Amino acid sequence: MKMKPKSILAFLALVLALLLAAGAVMSQEDVKSVNDPAFTSPTRPAPIFFHDAHNAKAGLDDCSVCHHVYEGGKKAEGASSEGQACSECHMKGKSTRPLIKAYHGMCRGCHEERKAGPVQCGECHSKRGPEALEGRGK
Amino acid sequence: MHTLYYLAAGPFAIAAFVLLAGGSLFRLVRMGLLARKKDPAVFDYMSARYGFRSLFHWLVPFGSRGMRLHPALTIASFLFHVCAIVAPVFLYAHVLLIDESWNIAWVHIPDGAADAMSLVVIAACVFFLVRRMKSPEVSYLSTWRDYAVLALVAAPFVTGLWSFHQFPGFRYAGIIHMLSGELLLASIPFTRLSHMIFFPITRAYMGSEFGAVRNARDW
Amino acid sequence: MSQVALKKETPVSDDGMLKGAAKLTPEKIRETVRKVLDGETGARLKTYAAMCARCGMCSDACHFCLSHDRDPAWSPAGKVKRTIWELVRTGGKVDAEFILDACRIAHTECNLCKRCAMYCPFGIDVAYMMLVMRRICHKLGVTPQYIQDTAHSHSATMNQMWVKEDEWIDSLQWQEDEAREEMPNLRIPIEKEGADIMYSVIGPEPKFRAQLIYQAAVILNASGVDWTMPGTPGWDNSDMCMYTGDNEMMGRLKRAHFDTAVRLRVSRIVMGECGHAFRSVHDMGNRWLGYRQPPVPVIHAVEFYHEILKQGRIKIAKKFEGPVTLHDPCNIVRGHGLHEMAREVVRLTCDELIEMHPNREHNYCCSAGGGVINCGPPFKTSRVVGNRVKAEQLFAAKARGAKTVVAPCHNCHGGLEDIIHHYGLGMDVKFLGDIIYSCMEKPE
Repeated sequence: MKMKPKSILAFLALVLALLLAAGAVMSQEDVKSVNDPAFTSPTRPAPIFFHDAHNAKAGLDDCSVCHHVYEGGKKAEGASSEGQACSECHMKGKSTRPLIKAYHGMCRGCHEERKAGPVQCGECHSKRGPEALEGRGK
Repeated sequence: MHTLYYLAAGPFAIAAFVLLAGGSLFRLVRMGLLARKKDPAVFDYMSARYGFRSLFHWLVPFGSRGMRLHPALTIASFLFHVCAIVAPVFLYAHVLLIDESWNIAWVHIPDGAADAMSLVVIAACVFFLVRRMKSPEVSYLSTWRDYAVLALVAAPFVTGLWSFHQFPGFRYAGIIHMLSGELLLASIPFTRLSHMIFFPITRAYMGSEFGAVRNARDW
Repeated sequence: MSQVALKKETPVSDDGMLKGAAKLTPEKIRETVRKVLDGETGARLKTYAAMCARCGMCSDACHFCLSHDRDPAWSPAGKVKRTIWELVRTGGKVDAEFILDACRIAHTECNLCKRCAMYCPFGIDVAYMMLVMRRICHKLGVTPQYIQDTAHSHSATMNQMWVKEDEWIDSLQWQEDEAREEMPNLRIPIEKEGADIMYSVIGPEPKFRAQLIYQAAVILNASGVDWTMPGTPGWDNSDMCMYTGDNEMMGRLKRAHFDTAVRLRVSRIVMGECGHAFRSVHDMGNRWLGYRQPPVPVIHAVEFYHEILKQGRIKIAKKFEGPVTLHDPCNIVRGHGLHEMAREVVRLTCDELIEMHPNREHNYCCSAGGGVINCGPPFKTSRVVGNRVKAEQLFAAKARGAKTVVAPCHNCHGGLEDIIHHYGLGMDVKFLGDIIYSCMEKPE
């Protein structure tokens, strides 16, 4: 059941229009960067990340690949954690270091494994922002 | 590009650290054993008090007469050495990478400071290069190795800045940064950069000979 | 890259070197170089060769380099480059021409003064490397003939100047006779076992500076110490073999000297105002023999004068007139930190001391020491012209009033006299012993 990116965009645009028209603000906008509010004073630009385009290109249908849930040190099969902030599990104290490590491990770890996608600092933490790179990952 | 990255981030990085640590240890132990055999007096005359006294005078800017005769070189050298060690060791990105790989972490400096320090290192390298070419007393002694070592030291800093600021082609700069940095680390024990490991010993020895045998200062 | 125009080398005219070099073959050179580098040197040479950063900071140290307008070929590292580095790099694949050149550099263009060790950030010991070069030359039979002659004398007679045993004793008795005219009860006790002090001198003193023995006898008698001089070989504390790379002979000479002191059961050796002999007894010869420090305490004349003046054993009748300046000899200052003691002796005996600059450990070498003056006339011009900075330094002291240069070392004496003469400085050179002798109260 693969959908063409164009139709995804069209669908999303429709949804967005409907929601805006209804005056309701929901969280389902197109994700363009990993702008985690847990980082109160980030030292690098937020990583560029076109959520849907990325998943389409990477062939990711299963949300729990990234939005995983761990129970007792084991990955809980079938369970996923969308809607939950990463920092809920990955940042116990005030230090953001575990959260950074989780993100880097998740993104770069997978890219290294698959030999695909950005791996160097500046490739994700781009100073040019998502707008400049819109469409790149598609 | 990915293959190069994997090599640079994986086996090459490990090899560089192993060569640096193992090579330094090997060179030190071998020289130590050779000294035991051929220059046993080195051990007899080595004195902690006079060794450290000499090191202290040579590790403080303008602590020796030679340094006072060359203020520009002294300032450039001290800035260069401090920055060339502090910037890479305490750069946040490096600390993080090591933390992510081996769960070992230490303090880091702000990126802005590292940025400035890298510029200082590059400026010092340019100064050294000009001095090596223009000053007869240095150019006479210089061989291609001396220029190569200078380039080798400057390369990771130039490419590091390039990559950090994401100038055009920064992906290539990033790869060159990793490779040149690794080459630099690996070559420390086996080139003139070995003064990094031998300096404390030769200086302390001369300090001991001057202090303990000759009752004189050596700075 | 700017490459400076290097000085044109004057061809070597030394017969000893030329005849030695004529007998060399590439195989012999290679084998000898390998034998010395692999068999005799070790961690120090290897480390120094590997780590030198070619920074050029040693140029400021060398009087030869400074006097040749900083020509880098004369800098300490430049000289190492033209000698040892090349041998290390090629594994000894060099020709006789190279050895001749390297011999000239190591023997006559470096005084082994170790000033460069104080200017090299790494503390690289260039003097040590020059000695290794001399050692190779020695094993190849290429050594300047004048200094080789003294080394031959050392091995034949255990003294530097071919002085025979009876001549030695005769010289002492002659000086005793002379001095008794002035001090009737004076003695030069020969072979007195159990004395406190054995007084030892260098070969040239009985040979052509016998008045120094006279002066020393007056000072020693007046100070009332219990002293003696040996009547056997072993009386000479000098050691040119140390400078020709003949380490085996250096060891024999020092052993003879120490053994003589032990045989006479003295508690210490006091030696005359000589620098290189002091280096040989408390630094190099003792090491070769395996002694960390000399087996019998060795006191340099400067230390001894300081002791007897401080203890009031001799009194100064009238201080030496006219301002003096003090030359710090490398072997007792960089070599043994006697600079403050020497100054105190000068202050106790002279009207006024005018410092030359730089001074103490940083003083410029006289360019005679390290066996260079002993290489004789063929190299005299090179050593005097190669020390223009010393002339300038002396002249600056003279401009501030200094009339006399006090130099408590024989080689410095000779070197400074040559420089003063060549540059027309018109200053007197004196030993501390000269000054003490002329200014002391002499008992009837």
